[in-house]
Amino acid sequence: MAFLPNSPLSGLLRGSPFKPIQEHMQVVFSCVCLVPPLFDALYKKDSKQLSEVAEQIKSLETDADKLKSTFRLNMPKSLFLPVDRKDLLSLIGDQDHIADTAEEICKILTYRQMEVPEAIKELLDELLEGTMEIASEAKAMIEQLDELLELGFGGREFDKVSQMISGVRRSEHNIDAILHRTRTALFAIENDLTPVSVIFWYKLIDLLGNISDQCENLADRLLLFLSK
Amino acid sequence: MEIIAAYGTTMIILAVIFGLYMTWGIGANDLANAMGTSVGAGAVSVKQAIIIAIIFEFLGAILAGGHVTKTIRKGIIDPSGIINNPEILVYGMLASLLAAAVWLMVASAKGWPVSTTHSIIGALIGFAIVGIGPDSVKWTKVASVVLSWIVSPIMGGTIAFLLVMSTRKLIFNTDNPLKNAKKYAPVYIFLVGFIISLVTMFKGLKHLHISMSTGQSFGFAVLFGALTASVGWYFIRNVKEDISANREFSYASVEKVFTPMMLFTACSMAFAHGSNDVANGIGPLAAVYSIVSSGGEVMQKSDLPFWILLLGGAGIVIGLITLGYRVMLTVGKKITELTPSRGFCAELAAATTVVIASRTGLPVSTTHILVGSVLGVGLARGVGALDLRVVLNIVISWVVTLPAGAIMAMLFFFTLKGIFS
Repeated sequence: MAFLPNSPLSGLLRGSPFKPIQEHMQVVFSCVCLVPPLFDALYKKDSKQLSEVAEQIKSLETDADKLKSTFRLNMPKSLFLPVDRKDLLSLIGDQDHIADTAEEICKILTYRQMEVPEAIKELLDELLEGTMEIASEAKAMIEQLDELLELGFGGREFDKVSQMISGVRRSEHNIDAILHRTRTALFAIENDLTPVSVIFWYKLIDLLGNISDQCENLADRLLLFLSK
Repeated sequence: MEIIAAYGTTMIILAVIFGLYMTWGIGANDLANAMGTSVGAGAVSVKQAIIIAIIFEFLGAILAGGHVTKTIRKGIIDPSGIINNPEILVYGMLASLLAAAVWLMVASAKGWPVSTTHSIIGALIGFAIVGIGPDSVKWTKVASVVLSWIVSPIMGGTIAFLLVMSTRKLIFNTDNPLKNAKKYAPVYIFLVGFIISLVTMFKGLKHLHISMSTGQSFGFAVLFGALTASVGWYFIRNVKEDISANREFSYASVEKVFTPMMLFTACSMAFAHGSNDVANGIGPLAAVYSIVSSGGEVMQKSDLPFWILLLGGAGIVIGLITLGYRVMLTVGKKITELTPSRGFCAELAAATTVVIASRTGLPVSTTHILVGSVLGVGLARGVGALDLRVVLNIVISWVVTLPAGAIMAMLFFFTLKGIFS
């Protein structure tokens, strides 16, 4: 046909970058949600359930990876965005780290048959609960990106999201305290466990702590959006 | 003179065919861009958009289209050097029409974002240089037209930026956004009707033998604005808080108020487009008709015949019906990236800018102004992502279109001259 559809306007408008980020966060959050069931299976010594949950985490982590790559491929330098392009790319990278950490935890629990020492069980539960809380706070924060865009990253949304950011920070601080207590409790029973077990328990505690650290990183990234 | 007497009818028939071809192309491409935003927001269906286009495109062409047509047919070229060879001007106008239409076709096939306005101006200049001589081009006028191509998108962008900021201040960033949206929506719709009608009427309807004083123009514009505002209020009064939609996105209900408002910007965009872009197709046609009907008078003292305006409007509507609806769907799908409130601001800004340009007789590009307006919304941090490569392509197409149109017009000019003599 002579006149083909040729529209500068349709080329100008690209999909909002916040939608894929929110989708990605949704998947990452689902990954974190499976960490407590993973420990449940460990407590019950139910290896079948453990490997099932582990499989789910692995497949969600792969989904998150794919979303991340697609997002990065669709972010050419010529884009004009309401926030810095680098910050957006780092934000999705940080989100992805959370899923990676969850996967690392489940890998350790699958290749190594871990025994849960009674002395740290309660503290572990507290830690898992705290991790879930901070992850859902981080997710709620990411879900505000649409609303932030509507108000041009200012006004009332600014105040609301600033409060959410300080909420995440507070949670991270609380989790730090729990981590400290858990490590102290583990140190007290070190001699009753095999040395290799002790190494791995320290590692698992560190990894759980990493999840909340990474959630705090997300809050810091969002703060950069607001400060422009 | 003998050539005109012998081939006069053929020339007019050719001019009508070329003019229809050109306006068809404008309707297929340009108009769809102008109205795609409203279609994308779901304010109007494609069918309704076509009906709106038919009515308001004609109104725009008839009420406000005369000034730009005048610039195209007598503003760019000074034909006093060829008073004794009026057929030269006829060949030139035919060649310019054909060159612009063919260049648009080539560019569209390649996917370059060229403008119909730029093509026809380039073609006119090209013909004048070889047909009459470089001195016959009114370079100062050309300079002001080219300057308007830079200024108009900036103006559209600035207005859009201010409109977005005002919606934030008055509506979104308040305790009760929905209540304020319903309160201020009629004010925005009033602005649409008021500005467009004021610019059109303010000493602008002389060609219809209607002359109004400043006070009368203002009075009518206020009246017309109030009329559109009350129609708008009728549409939005029933928008209610939708709790389930708000859970997903807290401003969903507020955006719903803006959706019916885009009906009005769709009308104003069609009007603005009719007032400016129809001239690209019918300006040269009117020139040919004027020369032939006066028996070889190149200075074109006669007024623009009404049927030519109608023909231009008809060509655009045919283009829209045959092909434009497809472009409208493509553009509409992409434009859902603009929330209704942002789309409203961008379209209102673009329509205002185009109508002001039409009133001053400046041929501008509706699409490029709309692109400028969307960039203005982007500067207000109001859009997810804009691809600036498109803006670069537009700048490149500016630089290429003028000489390309000119060279093609030269070729067609010599061909036509060879055929007729």
